[in-house]
Amino acid sequence: MKVSKENIEENKVELVIEVSEDKVASALDKAYKKVVKEVNIPGFRKGKVPKSILIKKFGAEVLHKDALDILIPEAYYEAVQETEIEPIAQPDITDVFIEAGKPAKFTAEVEVKPEVELGEYKELGIEKEEVNVSDEQVEEELNHKRGHHAQLVATDRAEVQEGDHTVIDFEGFLDGEAFEGGAGEDYNLEIGSGQFIPGFEEQLVGVKVGEEVEVNVTFPEEYNAENLAGQDAVFKVTVKEIKVKEMPELDDEFAKDLEFETLDELKADIKEKIAAREETRVNREFENKLVDAIADNTEVNIPETMVENEIDNMLEGFRYQIMQQGFEFDQYLEMSGIKEEDIRADYKEAAEKRAKANLVLETIAKNEGIEVSDEDLDEKLAEIAERQGQDKDQIKMFLQMQGQLASLKDSLQMEKTIDFLVENN
Amino acid sequence: MKDPRDIIIAPHISERSMMDMEENWYTFKVAIKANKPEIKKAIEKIFDVNVEKVTTNRMPGKKRRMGYTQGKTSNWKKARVKLAEGDSIEIFEGV
Repeated sequence: MKVSKENIEENKVELVIEVSEDKVASALDKAYKKVVKEVNIPGFRKGKVPKSILIKKFGAEVLHKDALDILIPEAYYEAVQETEIEPIAQPDITDVFIEAGKPAKFTAEVEVKPEVELGEYKELGIEKEEVNVSDEQVEEELNHKRGHHAQLVATDRAEVQEGDHTVIDFEGFLDGEAFEGGAGEDYNLEIGSGQFIPGFEEQLVGVKVGEEVEVNVTFPEEYNAENLAGQDAVFKVTVKEIKVKEMPELDDEFAKDLEFETLDELKADIKEKIAAREETRVNREFENKLVDAIADNTEVNIPETMVENEIDNMLEGFRYQIMQQGFEFDQYLEMSGIKEEDIRADYKEAAEKRAKANLVLETIAKNEGIEVSDEDLDEKLAEIAERQGQDKDQIKMFLQMQGQLASLKDSLQMEKTIDFLVENN
Repeated sequence: MKDPRDIIIAPHISERSMMDMEENWYTFKVAIKANKPEIKKAIEKIFDVNVEKVTTNRMPGKKRRMGYTQGKTSNWKKARVKLAEGDSIEIFEGV
């Protein structure tokens, strides 16, 4: 096979590929074997027509199409390997020539990854944020935890106040008639929680225990039940009990409830957890900043196709999210009244950024000779296997079958490259 | 003598005839009244070859039905011709 490469446009390459006669012959042979099963010629059983008769009857062209279907992908793949181009789309095949006994020839035009002119990417002097956990943060978290362990305690106060937990009986009337779903007994309502329609909870403030009051409210226009939306209603409400939330004391006792020995230990643990969380956040931010800075330093003309591919990826992720929430994607679009094109347009900028970042990282990896070894891959697979509680080899096989092993390798390489950048800054 | 092209009607092409060609036997559909010497001469004249041997047989027509009417395609004569060594016929154009 002979290949000649020519850059016709920016990010576009033209390959003129010539395939030897032997290959043509074998492809024609394969094509014949395929075509012969389909033709009916009197005097011959199906599949028994000799090649010469077939060609005389239908012309040599019948074989050419099938032969090319075999020949072109193979030759194109080889040509890509040989010229070491990195296509990002399907090639346009033109000027095809094929004839028995002669070398076949065709031209493939394909978009390739753009040249990346890397700027400075080491010693950028970007500072990593320090992780400092303040006492206030610990305090806040501690209070949050206290809230979780708060208990409702009956109070002897007679009037309802904002923030109280009340136990109420209520019955609602529309134009003097009770309506369905408008009544409840021993209902726990926190005043100010916004659980009930606006106005309801506010009117209970100041009500005495055991007293029956009338609460006048208007259902909001966009209320769920259509027969109620926008209607005026009267609720007869009796407050039966008032409870207040009591926070547990901040002492060793509280710590013991959370399975710690002392309060100090609990505080230390909280601090540690916050620190770890901050650490990851700071690291992530630092990495992003680094990549952004390098991308800014880099000159590259990102082809539309790459951006489109990236958008496709993002859309796929979004689709998956929607599915997780139990919607069909189309259904979601209809409900929210958003069009797919709008989403694509929204994603465009981010996709460009991502495509650029990916290109940059790839180029750095190439420059620095960062490669993912089989051991690295094994390690990662073992990690995944452990997380999912499955066998490592099984995971490997599964990924291989789905053709995702390569993309796993890619993402590993990216991780390694980022690690490299972090180290060198 | 009759025109040789009235004797030799058409090449007969089938899986068997294709196989026979490797042994230098060529198969034709011929006029039903033609005899072996006539066939031999006709072949030699049309294709400019030497014929060693001729075998013939009558092929019965096939029964065909058009609606209620039972019909039959014509009977015909098939001739197999053995050419002398080195001779060949580039036939079967316009099969």
